[in-house]
Amino acid sequence: MIGATVTVKELPGTGSSANTYGYYSITLPAGRYQISAQFMGYAPQVQTVNLNQSQKFDFQLTEQVNELKEVVVSSQRKNENITKLQMGVQKLDTKDLKNIPVIFGEKDVLKTIQLLPGIKSAGEGSSGFNVRGGATDQNLILLDEATVYNASHLMGFFSVFNSDAIKDISVYKGNEPAEYGGRLSSVLDVKMNDGNDKKLSVSGGIGLISSRVTLEGPIVKDKGSFIISARRTYADLFTKLSNDSTINSARLYFYDFNVKANYRINDQNRIFLSGYFGRDVLGLSNTYGLHWGNSTATVRLNHLVSDRLFSNTSLIFSNYNYKININNGIEMNIISRIQDYSLKQDFQLYSGNNSTLRFGINSTLHKIIPGIITAISDVDLKSMTNKHAWENAIYISHQYGLSKKLSVEYGARFTTFSILGPGKFYTYDSTSDPRDTMTYKTGQFMKTYFNIEPRASFNYILNDASSLKASYARNVQNLHLLSNSTSGSPTDLWIPSSNNVKPEISDQVSLGYYRNFADNQYEFFTEVYYKKLQNQIDYKTGAELNFNENVESQILFGKGRAYGLEMFLKKKYGRFNGWISYTLSRTERKFDGINNGNYYPARQDKTHDISIVGIYELNKSWTFSSTWVYNTGNAVTFPTAKYQIDGTTMMYYSSRNANRMPAYHRLDFGATWLVKKTKDFESSWTFSIYNAYGRDNAYMIRFRNNEQDPTKTEAIQTTLFKFVPSFSYNFKF
Amino acid sequence: MKHHIIQLAMALLLIFSFSSCEKVVDLNLDTSSPSIVIQGNVFDHDGPYMIQISKTVAFTESNIFPAVSKAKVTISDNLGNSERLTETSPGTYMTSTLKGIPGATYTLTVVAEGSTYTAVSTMPEPVDIDRIYIRKSDVGSNREVAFDFQDPAGIDNYYRVIEYVNGSLKTGINVGNDKLYQGKIITYSLGSSSIKKDSVLQSGDRVRIQFECIDKGVYEYFRTTKGNGDQSTSPTNPTSNISNGALGYFSACTVRQDSIIYH
Repeated sequence: MIGATVTVKELPGTGSSANTYGYYSITLPAGRYQISAQFMGYAPQVQTVNLNQSQKFDFQLTEQVNELKEVVVSSQRKNENITKLQMGVQKLDTKDLKNIPVIFGEKDVLKTIQLLPGIKSAGEGSSGFNVRGGATDQNLILLDEATVYNASHLMGFFSVFNSDAIKDISVYKGNEPAEYGGRLSSVLDVKMNDGNDKKLSVSGGIGLISSRVTLEGPIVKDKGSFIISARRTYADLFTKLSNDSTINSARLYFYDFNVKANYRINDQNRIFLSGYFGRDVLGLSNTYGLHWGNSTATVRLNHLVSDRLFSNTSLIFSNYNYKININNGIEMNIISRIQDYSLKQDFQLYSGNNSTLRFGINSTLHKIIPGIITAISDVDLKSMTNKHAWENAIYISHQYGLSKKLSVEYGARFTTFSILGPGKFYTYDSTSDPRDTMTYKTGQFMKTYFNIEPRASFNYILNDASSLKASYARNVQNLHLLSNSTSGSPTDLWIPSSNNVKPEISDQVSLGYYRNFADNQYEFFTEVYYKKLQNQIDYKTGAELNFNENVESQILFGKGRAYGLEMFLKKKYGRFNGWISYTLSRTERKFDGINNGNYYPARQDKTHDISIVGIYELNKSWTFSSTWVYNTGNAVTFPTAKYQIDGTTMMYYSSRNANRMPAYHRLDFGATWLVKKTKDFESSWTFSIYNAYGRDNAYMIRFRNNEQDPTKTEAIQTTLFKFVPSFSYNFKF
Repeated sequence: MKHHIIQLAMALLLIFSFSSCEKVVDLNLDTSSPSIVIQGNVFDHDGPYMIQISKTVAFTESNIFPAVSKAKVTISDNLGNSERLTETSPGTYMTSTLKGIPGATYTLTVVAEGSTYTAVSTMPEPVDIDRIYIRKSDVGSNREVAFDFQDPAGIDNYYRVIEYVNGSLKTGINVGNDKLYQGKIITYSLGSSSIKKDSVLQSGDRVRIQFECIDKGVYEYFRTTKGNGDQSTSPTNPTSNISNGALGYFSACTVRQDSIIYH
């Protein structure tokens, strides 16, 4: 149970919290103590111990659903957010998601985190997100430690995370601990459910466009458990209803599976296996098909080396690929893939009561196939040079309580990124044509980048209910997603750093004030940040990013800066709870050759961003919820003049991103009706309505000739979703 | 091609999200100072060839583009021919003797309102249309116009297709290359997908195609006009082959034509 707190009754202020694997360690003088463990939504447990030597105590906390409120009110203060060192992090339990309405009624962690400060939606209905002004590819998305390269299903309308299979998620907004690295803006750490180790149970849901089912149970009671979760959408049922032959021949669906098992070998060793497999299918009769998806696998061993030293070893595999099949006379297949093989070794050393040392290594082999084109009719193969890279990291970080009030964590991550042969490497002249070609053999090092990423955090506790925090972090990113469509596409290409592409670097400083009110019932924080970005990527006019051997010649390099203020107020308990989040921010880029070399707002720059979430529990059967969001429109480039070429009206553009899309706002409602709840069976209905007041939010604005009067031009706004109702039936037995 | 497919997929998603809708919006747009627009061709058939010079207008104005008169327009080739064009109507300049020859390189020079603009284009070797026909569309039950041509092996070719229906020009810019089809017989279909409303043909319509072989610079120009009016990428101005900031293009190209009655 990640983050469950363990306290000692006789020594107030002494305690520990469970790490990501549920382990904790406390050092106490010999004596008799009452040790208690508590976690939100679970009944606290107390064990009396007679301590005269090192001992191990396991706590099994049981879920308390109905008595939740009483437990919380009567249990001790929940001011972890004040005392914790880490800032710029937000955690969500899947329970938090249950009542928040989302589009199509499918609970979604990626949609829900967009309601938090500093995390913004990349577009209507999209699971893409921007953290503190970063691009969508600057988020490291981990599912049980495996990198997920494309977290979207159905062009982004769904995320790959099946909330039934997810235990919890944490988002680090750029100042993550030294054990994480590889992306500039954030780390989204998603942990899968371990499964129920007490009894076998089945749960599921049937919805308007998707259904899901989960099976979980013990392998050996109290020693190991498993969970299997599956999901399938049937959006193409709706296209079948169309009279149009083009549309009703379309295929459009996805499915995914999550599997996890864990087994406690003995008190010192516990093994976990987890995996994900998902596929999207999009097609038009036999003419065209696009299949894409991720698969990940993790084997993990938790080992207690001693009562103070905890070890975690992981072997990780991750794969993202797509396949396009085109058949217009000539049948062609195009495939592309990115694969990772990683080894991770982490240690946590509880070296004293106020001191914890974390250190470890991480080694990953990346293999990228940018594209292979095969024609079935005759033996004709065209392929681009495959890319190989070896990424290594060593980190160490020390957390230390200098006094009761002041604690620090400092450390660094040392990373190398080596580009390996076999393959061809190019240098380019000013007209983007290859100037030199170099060929490297298998395993030959073409180039190695070495970087040091220092990280530091400070927490000064002002009193029980307030604290000041500060942090600095450098992040380095060596994999870059090339995408020239704003909404993102499954065919977007990941490329490694190379002789032409330098590692992206960010430096972020942030300051925060944390304050709780009314006996920790209300939690408030505000943070300010400033971030400097180097080696950012944009594209030349009309850049060809797909199936281009010389794709690196299509890229422009520049710098960026982002700064902002975030505020968050949450009511944590009671029949009515929820939060308000506000972000004031700016994010800018500067490239030679764009906007005369001056700073301009990045597309994802949204000055104001507000989310309000309210959940009200009317009685044991009915829970109502509502969210309202508002943000300034994206920075975009609108035409400043027009002209005609061969009868086609053309738009003329001057300054980059000098205009704004109309402001976006939306109200959603949700309701959950718990029909039946007994020990053996539970059923409920959820209802939601998305964009309840029918705001015409601009998804896209196009400029074109008026169809009736071709002497006029007009701006056409597309709105995607208005008054979208959804309902689903959920069960558990 | 692939981008059409992605767009089609997006269109499908829009349709399936039954509540999507479109409306005309009023935006407060800035207006930049007028820029010069030059366009024209040299073909491999007899002249006269035409160069048109105009200016940009604000987005909110009508599609009437002011002509640029009294410009000095000359076209010369690398074979020693050169001709000063005469202005036959405001903004329209015509050749009288010049003859386009495949393989020759042409230079356009325009001196207008105190500035000089130049462009260079090389006429590729011609590629013929093998046949034009009507076939069942790959998608759905529609019928579409298609034509075949043999891509010359061993060289990079760039193509442009212009369509006329009952004598009137269909708007839209279609260019392609032989990157994936080097040396093969290529089928170009005029796509009568019902998603594009304006492309629905009626039985008896006369469809004429103008099939051009263009050079790389002109291909780059037309290729980079893609997505010019939408916001799916950060929009930029196409890469013109004319110097000094002029908009438009100058193309020396070969042209072949054929037509068919749709049924």
